[in-house]
Amino acid sequence: MTECTEAYNLSELVSETNTNLKKVKCLRCDSFILQPNSGLFTKLEMSLSIPALRQKKSIVTGDSIEYELLQNFWIVNDAFTFENIGFTNTVDNKKYLICADCEIGPLGVQNLDNPNEFYLSIDRVKHVN
Amino acid sequence: MAKAYDYLFKLLLIGDSGVGKTCVLFRFAEDQYNATFISTIGIDFKIRTIELDGKKIKLQIWDTAGQERFRTITTAYYRGAMGILLVYDITSEKSFDSIRNWIRNIEEHASADVERMLIGNKCDMNDRRQVSKERGEKLAIEYGMKCMETSAKLNENIENAFFTLARDIKAKTEKRLNQNRPGSNSQNGTGSNTKLKPKDNGGSKSSFFKMCTIL
Ligand SMILES: Nc1nc2c(ncn2[C@@H]2O[C@H](COP(=O)(O)OP(=O)(O)O)[C@@H](O)[C@H]2O)c(=O)[nH]1
Ligand SMILES: [Mg+2]
Ligand SMILES: [Zn+2]
Repeated sequence: MTECTEAYNLSELVSETNTNLKKVKCLRCDSFILQPNSGLFTKLEMSLSIPALRQKKSIVTGDSIEYELLQNFWIVNDAFTFENIGFTNTVDNKKYLICADCEIGPLGVQNLDNPNEFYLSIDRVKHVN
Repeated sequence: MAKAYDYLFKLLLIGDSGVGKTCVLFRFAEDQYNATFISTIGIDFKIRTIELDGKKIKLQIWDTAGQERFRTITTAYYRGAMGILLVYDITSEKSFDSIRNWIRNIEEHASADVERMLIGNKCDMNDRRQVSKERGEKLAIEYGMKCMETSAKLNENIENAFFTLARDIKAKTEKRLNQNRPGSNSQNGTGSNTKLKPKDNGGSKSSFFKMCTIL
């Protein structure tokens, strides 16, 4: 909970019905990811540990992946709710969400134990009107 | 939440290993900001939203996991596919010869009315061309397909290829819907393909669906 620098103000992002007020886009390339009012805001009590966007070391060996704890998500219940999104291959029973255009990621995660819940990290996207 | 789209099409890429399928579908990453977590685990599929004639269409586009190397593409991969891009490499005679085998494979495993399109990739390498454009066109005509030459490297005609295929599937789907109007169409197992939806959040569409969002 210490690391999450809230560069955004949640009250400006979350609607009264707890959904995303604004369009969600890729931080890097502006790809349109989610329509307004399509994801349900969730602040997790137990943060999810998700690989960092930028890995400092080379991770060819796979044993030195850097993770980041993330707490705020838009939960989407149907993959086709996304405007544009990519899915990685499965690792540890999870698929990671990536930008469909520039392939930056992970932007979120789908745990295949709960395949109908797609967690899109609020920290790793941008919100625009 | 309500489904805010008109059609959902599952598309596949088929062809020999090395013709550029993964590059066509994904980003042509020459200047790899590589060894990132994502490129290590690889990408399974993408979902794209496009608009054609006022209809909102979701494309789910799959890459093979390299099974084509062993010619072991089977029914599971083809399941539910409504469109297939058959890809060869214009600098590889062998990959062009293989197209007939892939067509046979499709006929064996895919749904009979799957829409096919022939793609001659790597057209940026004209100096090493082994397959003329005319031969591509001839083969396409023989099998009743459209054809197109592309370059994933220069991002040439890639978007056009996906849009053309989507447009043809849409036309086919709408024709079938009209034919079956009075009754219910149960011939096509996965009803989700042609689901008609309530488009609830109308409003300022135009800017959302810029035609360039597909690769
Ligand atoms: N010059 C050129 N090279 C390409 C093109 N598309 C793919 N390649 C290269 O062809 C090789 C195989 O591509 P890949 O997408 O992995 O083929 P796949 O096995 O069909 O998935 C890679 O080295 C790519 O960089 C293209 O349009 N032009
Ligand atoms: Mg490949
Ligand atoms: Zn992006």
